[in-house]
Amino acid sequence: MKKWMPYLLVSPYLLHFSVFVAFPVVFSVVLTFHSWNIISPMKYVGLANYRHLIHDRLFWQAVWNTVRFLIVHIPLQILVALTLAELLNRTVRGASFFRAAFFLPVIVSGVVVTILWQQLLSYNSGILNRLLTTVGMARVAWLDDPAVAMYSIAVMATWKNVGLYIILFLVGLQSVPVQLYEAADLEGATNWQKFRYITLPMINPTIFTVVVLSTIGGFSLFVEPYIMTEGGPMNTTLSAVMYIYRQAFQYYHMGYSATLGFCFALIILFVVIIQRRYVEQEV
Amino acid sequence: MAEVILRHIAKAYDKGTNVIKDVNIDIKDREFVVLVGPSGCGKSTLLRMIAGLEEITDGDLLLDGQRINDLPPKDRDIAMVFQNYALYPHMTVYDNMAFGLKLRNMPKDEIRKRVMQAAKILDIENLIDRKPKDMSGGQRQRVAIGRAIVRNPKVFLFDEPLSNLDAKLRGQTRIELQKLHRELLTTMIYVTHDQIEAMTLGDRIVVLRSGDVMQFDTPLKLYNQPANLFVAGFIGTPPMNFLAGQIVRKDSTLCFLSKQKTLTLPLTDTGHEQSLKTYEGEEVIMGLRAEDISVSLIETNQTLYVTTIQVVEHMGSEVLAYFTIEEQRFVAKLSGDTLLEFGQSVYVGWNLGKAHFFDAKTELAIR
Repeated sequence: MKKWMPYLLVSPYLLHFSVFVAFPVVFSVVLTFHSWNIISPMKYVGLANYRHLIHDRLFWQAVWNTVRFLIVHIPLQILVALTLAELLNRTVRGASFFRAAFFLPVIVSGVVVTILWQQLLSYNSGILNRLLTTVGMARVAWLDDPAVAMYSIAVMATWKNVGLYIILFLVGLQSVPVQLYEAADLEGATNWQKFRYITLPMINPTIFTVVVLSTIGGFSLFVEPYIMTEGGPMNTTLSAVMYIYRQAFQYYHMGYSATLGFCFALIILFVVIIQRRYVEQEV
Repeated sequence: MAEVILRHIAKAYDKGTNVIKDVNIDIKDREFVVLVGPSGCGKSTLLRMIAGLEEITDGDLLLDGQRINDLPPKDRDIAMVFQNYALYPHMTVYDNMAFGLKLRNMPKDEIRKRVMQAAKILDIENLIDRKPKDMSGGQRQRVAIGRAIVRNPKVFLFDEPLSNLDAKLRGQTRIELQKLHRELLTTMIYVTHDQIEAMTLGDRIVVLRSGDVMQFDTPLKLYNQPANLFVAGFIGTPPMNFLAGQIVRKDSTLCFLSKQKTLTLPLTDTGHEQSLKTYEGEEVIMGLRAEDISVSLIETNQTLYVTTIQVVEHMGSEVLAYFTIEEQRFVAKLSGDTLLEFGQSVYVGWNLGKAHFFDAKTELAIR
């Protein structure tokens, strides 16, 4: 084979990588030191963008909103996915039907799901509120109450993604050797003790994967609030990514938007490192 | 006291396959009983039924006179050592052994005492803080046994515990298990497919085949008085040699008539006289242990056949010689200094007084 042949073979990937991954990353870091509105030429501003960011209360609120979302979303995701996986792991009638049914929302477009849920949670005509009024309870402003809206979105996101995590947990559960449960049976463990002392520690790596995946997924929260609430009410559902998007494509503050994105990426990295430390101690 | 009695025990799966058929076994207190048989004979299933991990379809399982068919595993006071050890990988040796006791809310001091005591018996005190992944197969094996010991159960069950160990370690552990049985003085039920393990460990052995008990007896009885063709062929290495034929009377003496020979039976030695008489004219199978066959390079007064050596295996202390007699593969066990080579012509004979006879139809021993 010619010497240049391997290079030729990897060149399509390298080209794609350089244009769509490496260049944007490098360019956005360069952007953080500039002011640029796409039309006029870039202007070097030094650390001005970073100084601005530190005092930008809206950005920190968006980060906090995202964290609030994660605090509800991650435990809920694990709880629901693990419970359903446990149930599906038994020999239940129609298990494969349920498996498919739970997975369906994962492959449906996020926009479609969000619009469906918007209808479902609508204050006046939503099914949920109608059910509440039927049983004599007051309506809830699921998407309009600043104290509730973000949590409604968290529940919806859980519903959308739970199928994926059920599959992950099922794989984890099925990798636990049956003999461990049999040994525990003989030692007198109850179902709960078996779950607590065998299942949970054995699927710890799966739990970590789920936490990391849903953390990263949660940090990139965008479609749901963009369509359902547009960040409202009172910016309580404004997610970090949405704010970055606004800065870039509504206000054309490209340099500042890049700065936000860069800092936000650092925050995510920091969180994942902490999670990893914690899990490594456990295992 | 721990007496285990199986009365008409049977197991069938939904589709009507009987994996265990009417098993009757009485295991005495402190007895070491081995369940042995080829793959798929139901030995592990039977053990798991005693443990409570498999449902019993029919019959009674009695522990000290109490029927325990419907008791959950934890209430049976039985401990089991699994083939792949089934240690909890995320726990240390100490925690693995203490787990069952913690679940029973035993005081910490007592747990510590019991675990350390078991660790001492098994010589694993120095491993107490390790996790299973940091130990060898033999060490894991000990921990698995330790986990059973600490609970001080009425009955120990072993499911092929040595099958994952190398040959040398298997031999050592066999000896240690015997020692352990003497020290603990507890009823033990042990499953294996290895008949050497069965012969060396068991006070008594249950030979199983397709869910049926073929024979339940002491190792020596199994070897010397196999109840049927299956046991005769299964117990003993190398396996017993078989030759089909007929019992006939010739000049008022009983003879074994094979395809090629008519062999006079020296009935005075065998004690088979009365029973063999009734088989006159019937098809039978003669069985001969490898050590009861003589092979020599010169003709002797025992010589019955002339044949050619096909394979010679030098085991050191003994030599196994393989050849064909009446189209049947035969093996003879000879002393280690016998010099034989492939292709040599040899004179083969045997002492008919040592022969076993089986009914060709029922395969039962004729005694």
